[in-house]
Amino acid sequence: MLASSYKDEDGHISVSGSGAAAAAGGGSLRNKKPENTAFKQQRLPAWQPILTAGTVLPAFFIIGLIFIPIGIGLYVTSNNIKEIEIDYTGVDMSSPCFNCSQNFSWNSTKSCTCSIPFQLDQPYESNVFMYYGLSNFYQNHRRYVKSRDDSQLNGNEESLRSPSKECEPYARHDNKPIAPCGAIANSMFNDTLELFYNDPNGTKVQVPLTATEIAWWTDKHVKFRNPGGEGSDLAAAFQGTTKPVNWRRPVYELDSDPNNNGFINEDFIVWMRTAALPTFRKLYRIIQRRNNLLPTLPRGNYTLEVVYNYPVRSFEGRKRMILSTISWMGGKNPFLGIAYITVGSICFLLGIVLLIIHHKYGNRNNGADVSH
Amino acid sequence: AFVHIVMISCYTSLVIFFIPWAAMHDAVRSDGKDVADYQSFALLTQTSLLIVVSAQMFLDTNYWTAINQFFLWGSLAVYISVTFTFLSNGLFFMFTSSFPFIGAARNCLQQSNVWLTIFLTCLLSILPTVAYRFLLIQLNPTISDKVRYKAKEEGQPTPAPYRPPARRVSTRRSSYAFSHSRGYGNLVTSRKFLRLRKPSSLFNRKEAANLCKQLIFCRI
Repeated sequence: MLASSYKDEDGHISVSGSGAAAAAGGGSLRNKKPENTAFKQQRLPAWQPILTAGTVLPAFFIIGLIFIPIGIGLYVTSNNIKEIEIDYTGVDMSSPCFNCSQNFSWNSTKSCTCSIPFQLDQPYESNVFMYYGLSNFYQNHRRYVKSRDDSQLNGNEESLRSPSKECEPYARHDNKPIAPCGAIANSMFNDTLELFYNDPNGTKVQVPLTATEIAWWTDKHVKFRNPGGEGSDLAAAFQGTTKPVNWRRPVYELDSDPNNNGFINEDFIVWMRTAALPTFRKLYRIIQRRNNLLPTLPRGNYTLEVVYNYPVRSFEGRKRMILSTISWMGGKNPFLGIAYITVGSICFLLGIVLLIIHHKYGNRNNGADVSH
Repeated sequence: AFVHIVMISCYTSLVIFFIPWAAMHDAVRSDGKDVADYQSFALLTQTSLLIVVSAQMFLDTNYWTAINQFFLWGSLAVYISVTFTFLSNGLFFMFTSSFPFIGAARNCLQQSNVWLTIFLTCLLSILPTVAYRFLLIQLNPTISDKVRYKAKEEGQPTPAPYRPPARRVSTRRSSYAFSHSRGYGNLVTSRKFLRLRKPSSLFNRKEAANLCKQLIFCRI
């Protein structure tokens, strides 16, 4: 593949044997000439990648042979991940959450609950992750994504009192600044999901859900900070601000745990990390594994209890709850495995085709019509 | 050629967007947290784009000197350092609203499925170009391809061995012939060629060998 072409070392023809005229002329010209170094005379050693049969064909075959096992590995790993999705929007009349979805109003104090039974056919081992998923929700709309104030969320006092104008029209309400401002914060997901296991002998056991360690470490500890510093009284720190318009409780009452309250509430942080696609899932809770002997979620009947606060029917959205195990490549996504297998086989086939072409037609290179 | 370039550009753009799109659909990190967010998706697409562009430049550069190597690998290194700088804590604290992508590189580029996606995207983008060029060389070789092939078969030409010229077969060449090579300007305009002279006083043997090395059609 390499063709080292050393640029010619022509140098200057020494005209020492010539007449006086040339020597005199050469003496005055020599000041303007660039130095005779390799860099300035463009004589640097060079290298050129050339696509010969000896490199391209083995490369295609090797790539094909590498990609196919990787693809198979990814596909098998993805298939071994267990996942269940439960849509609880309540679109059909037969769905338990139908009444809740119909009777929604913004200032109802009584919250609507519904429970959906489902069953797991296989036991789920190791940590199980509980996500909420939304469809047809465009968190990647440009004005929506810009509608936030990162310095306010970082605990900056000045921004707390006067939010940036990117947050308009969700910056002030009742003549007070909104904390946290912006459309992203205003539309925060506020359903409560709880999981119950129906024991074979009839009792309903609540599955313990962990609400911490669901946001990125850098988000929770660097990007989002509460105003007033650590350990301060949040209600006092947020004095003079008001809650976002569509929230039921102000931001300093999101959780009773002081490490998860205010702006560093992990549900809030997870919501503020806007999704890239209109169908997305966000981590809601983690079900920790108990010990290595018992599966985390044994197979059987379960009940999902929903406190239905979030309206999605108006824009034809859908809500769902997803329970999933995790592997080294993330959640259940067979695309990467299939893509690797496909590209690997295409590469391999292309290599074979090129090999055939090279054998049949490659001898044109030896043609006698190369003039010397 | 324009149509050819437009087709390749369209294909590459579609690949660079849709492969990450499909890979990030409902994807999460290996510890369950989000990776399908806006900033990670942007970073993934951006990184694969940079690598594809660098690879195309690698294929297109004809003479790889040290300068080319420095600039190509240098641009990749600068991209990596700029990404990590823009996404670092320091810049975020200084200019909070301008650098909201904090933490995206650290969290997103640790995931193996992100790197696998980047690898797949880059390969899929470069494969058609490589296959097309290889086919061209096989089916429609240009003369330079054929010369190169022959040169490779015969090995590197050794420098012409120095033999003392047995006979002076007219070492005089017309100034027209000399004027086609570099460095002979002085010689050609020095009026040496106007008069008949004995060849031995015009060139010494070393210069004759030198000159003949340059002229392809010199027979000594």
